[in-house]
Amino acid sequence: MDKQLDLLQGTLDMLILKAVSLGPLHGYGILLRIQQISKDRLEIQQGSLYPALYRLEHQGWIASEWGESENNRKAKYYRLTAAGKRRLLAEADNWNRMADVIAGILGTKPEEV
Amino acid sequence: MTLWSRLRSWWNATVRRSRMESEMDAELRFHIESLAEDLMSGGMSRPEAQRRARIQFGGIERVKEEGREARGVNFFETFLQDVHFGLRMLCKNPGFTVVAVLTLALGIGANTAIFSLVDGILLRPLPFAAPQNLVSITGTFPKGGFVAMREQMQSLDVASYFEGHEFNLTGRGDPLRLSGAVVSAEFFSVLGARPELGHAFYPGDDDAGRDNYVILSHSLWQQHFGANPSILGQSIVLEGISRQVIGVMPPEFLFPSAKTQVWLSLHDDPRDTVAYWAGDFMPVIGRLRPGSTLPLARAEIRMFQSRVSKLFPWPMPADWNADISVVELRNGMVADVRSRLFLLLGAVGLILLIACVNVANLALSRAATREKEIAVRTAMGAERTRVIRQLLTESVLLALLGGLLGIILATEGLHLLKAALPADTPRLADAHIDWRVLSFTGGLAILTGLLFGLAPALQSSRAALSQSLNAATRGASVSISHRLRSALAIAEVAFAVLLVIAAGLLIRSFVALSRVDPGFRAERVLTARVTPNQEFCGDPARCVSFYRELLSRMQAVPGVSSAAVVNTLPLGGRVAKRSLEIENEAVPPGEAMPLFWMDVVTPDYLRVMKIPVVAGRGFTSADESGNPPVALVTSSTSRRFWPGRSPVGSHVRLSGDKDWRTVVGIVSDVRAYDLQKNVPDWINGTIYFPYATNATLEGGRVPSDMTVVLQSSLDESQLHNVLRSTISGLNPEVPASEVKPMRAVVSESVSTPASTTVLFVAFAALALVLGLTGIYGVLSFLVSRRTKEIGIRLALGAQRRDVLWLVMKEGARFSLIGISLGLAGALGISRLLAGELYGVSPADPATFLAAASLMTAVTLLACYIPTRRAMRVDPLLALRHE
Repeated sequence: MDKQLDLLQGTLDMLILKAVSLGPLHGYGILLRIQQISKDRLEIQQGSLYPALYRLEHQGWIASEWGESENNRKAKYYRLTAAGKRRLLAEADNWNRMADVIAGILGTKPEEV
Repeated sequence: MTLWSRLRSWWNATVRRSRMESEMDAELRFHIESLAEDLMSGGMSRPEAQRRARIQFGGIERVKEEGREARGVNFFETFLQDVHFGLRMLCKNPGFTVVAVLTLALGIGANTAIFSLVDGILLRPLPFAAPQNLVSITGTFPKGGFVAMREQMQSLDVASYFEGHEFNLTGRGDPLRLSGAVVSAEFFSVLGARPELGHAFYPGDDDAGRDNYVILSHSLWQQHFGANPSILGQSIVLEGISRQVIGVMPPEFLFPSAKTQVWLSLHDDPRDTVAYWAGDFMPVIGRLRPGSTLPLARAEIRMFQSRVSKLFPWPMPADWNADISVVELRNGMVADVRSRLFLLLGAVGLILLIACVNVANLALSRAATREKEIAVRTAMGAERTRVIRQLLTESVLLALLGGLLGIILATEGLHLLKAALPADTPRLADAHIDWRVLSFTGGLAILTGLLFGLAPALQSSRAALSQSLNAATRGASVSISHRLRSALAIAEVAFAVLLVIAAGLLIRSFVALSRVDPGFRAERVLTARVTPNQEFCGDPARCVSFYRELLSRMQAVPGVSSAAVVNTLPLGGRVAKRSLEIENEAVPPGEAMPLFWMDVVTPDYLRVMKIPVVAGRGFTSADESGNPPVALVTSSTSRRFWPGRSPVGSHVRLSGDKDWRTVVGIVSDVRAYDLQKNVPDWINGTIYFPYATNATLEGGRVPSDMTVVLQSSLDESQLHNVLRSTISGLNPEVPASEVKPMRAVVSESVSTPASTTVLFVAFAALALVLGLTGIYGVLSFLVSRRTKEIGIRLALGAQRRDVLWLVMKEGARFSLIGISLGLAGALGISRLLAGELYGVSPADPATFLAAASLMTAVTLLACYIPTRRAMRVDPLLALRHE
């Protein structure tokens, strides 16, 4: 397994939005899903997930309600709101463009300058 | 959406705090337990799995704290902390707090009081059902015109009323003079008002023969009918005519005015052509029918106006109601007061600005002493926004305290205001302090706090960190906020100058008004209205001989040297007019005959009032027979209608009369309508007739509501008693009312300008006091900051004179710049006052000069104590000062 990468500043929000866009999840589920999709290549501080969740809820991008987990416990499930969907699209778009630009810069060879 | 979710999140975070906490707990526990279970399924023992899960999760408390922050809990906690800290700071500086709160209370209180007037009179909906649909038609119509309008208008339900009627109430103790309104049958239903007792008029109740009903006001019912409900259905005698009481209106119903005591229905009788088409021209109100709009009603009324002129039995002048329109009733009712109220609001707005500037200055001075505290807090990691927020919280707290005290001041102030304003100000009773006014005050206080807090907060949060910490406790860093403080002091002086000039102009105008020669002498003149029933005066000879007998008996009373009667007392607020034909002066076709102010008097009237006869002769007792008919004209009338020649010997005739009257003399002009005008603009001249059976009004009656005027040494109550007993010997059904000295009549006629002047003078005084303390504050701060410098200067050989100059220079600078700005501003806006001014220009140089001098004197006064303190600085002490 490759060495785990630290999360870039500000990307956790986007990952959470993406994770819950695939269906409602509780906090632990979100963590698992991000790790699963990233094939365990991302290191996420378990605790840092919750302030991010609350911030997103505060901003109205995700909404929560209590439900029952797979192991029959009470758990709080988060789902994407309409505003969150728009936000995710905007952030993903931003991210992709930024990644292109950065990749372009890093890929520059001396003779191209 | 986002705002809503934030609010909900705040709500959950604060109000439902404990629930949020337990939910957060449960959520985090679920996470850790799930993680532990996953670890256990990998073969780990339970205790070990739980331990590892907790380690992996990280610090629970830190997560929770960050979670609270993310949910906005801390916003409120910080706020509470700020409030707590702010209150402590305010308690620690009681001097500052008291001065600031008092200053703000004055500013906010004045604004609250005036706003409650504006709200009650201009803004609050009328106390009628669906008031937004109520309109007023800007024009007046006689009965015939109104009846046509009622039949034809599609967009409006209309009602007409006439306010200026008076009725003798007899048969119940002493006869009483009541003021009443005569209204069309729809009056109450159009307004959507119901009586508290009985019922309103029914449609058709204003037709001739069906009109013997009366509705009482609540106060009349209480004061004279013992609030007894059995009055319903009973008859009362008004003007000798018995009318059945069908209703009592509730106390809040005060339309057309607060004076109205009875409402009678109109008497629409088309056979009485003169009364039907030329009687009272009445205002008309209306209610928009469902689906119609104001523009629609305007268009319709204009079309109606073009038709209605043709209905009259005689040609109407083309300009009659030419600019007719439909406006909201609320605006129509208060059109006259509106501009005056806005002036007052502007004035108190200025006072609040001055108060703000004052407190901002105080806060700046204090901020300077708090530089260190703030520097320390910044050094400890406080963000600048956080410091600003703290300081703003403090100023808003101050302002709210000021607002609280201001409300108490305003409650008192509103009583004074109501007493100072003329009693006939429309809707005055509607003004009171309620939640609308309180929310205005609350908003104003917060705004005020932000306004005066912002500058000091920005200023002190900027304070350079190391500089303040390094500087000796009270270093020489004088300049940081000095410029800002000077600017504020200058603004204060300028605002105060504006108010002083406004007050000065109003005083000059009022003095000019008081110096107007009214054309008569009010000294030692007593007046009283003596008013037999119209029905009694239906026989003119009986009426004339009643007054004649009354006068001869009154003249015999000890203390009365002469007595007379007049139909319209000068400045008494009533108008008597007649159309007059002048010999050899043909009226061009299509134009109306000139309208004359008609004074009907007994021969002694000119002597009692000391109105001089300029040419010819006055009336003599021989003229009282009315035969041969004679008249007097006034000087200005003579100039207008007999230019370059004497009217004496020429003839005039009342419209509708057969006989010509001979003009026998000219009397000098009298300010009959108000102190500014002899007669209203729409009246062309003034004529006097002797009181005789042929001195008739429109409608052919002799005047029956005469005012007795006496040259007398009696006081009012003596006169009232003498009159009462004399009258009851003649006719016990005749009331005597409005017994007062002529001087009171004159001063009541200027009650409006008087009240405006008094209020502005009070505001200007307030502005001066606030300005004085403001400048004083700035200068004394300056001196205390420069004590060391002054000490050095003195030690180096500066003279006390130089120190004097050092401080006075500052003061002089404030006042010079402030006064110049104020004068320039006043030049720009004083014409707003033009409508309130008489005999003085809005740019009156004398007033401007006086205001500038007064302001200079005040600023010098403000400089005095700080200067003296500076001059007493002991160089030795000052140098050891730090």
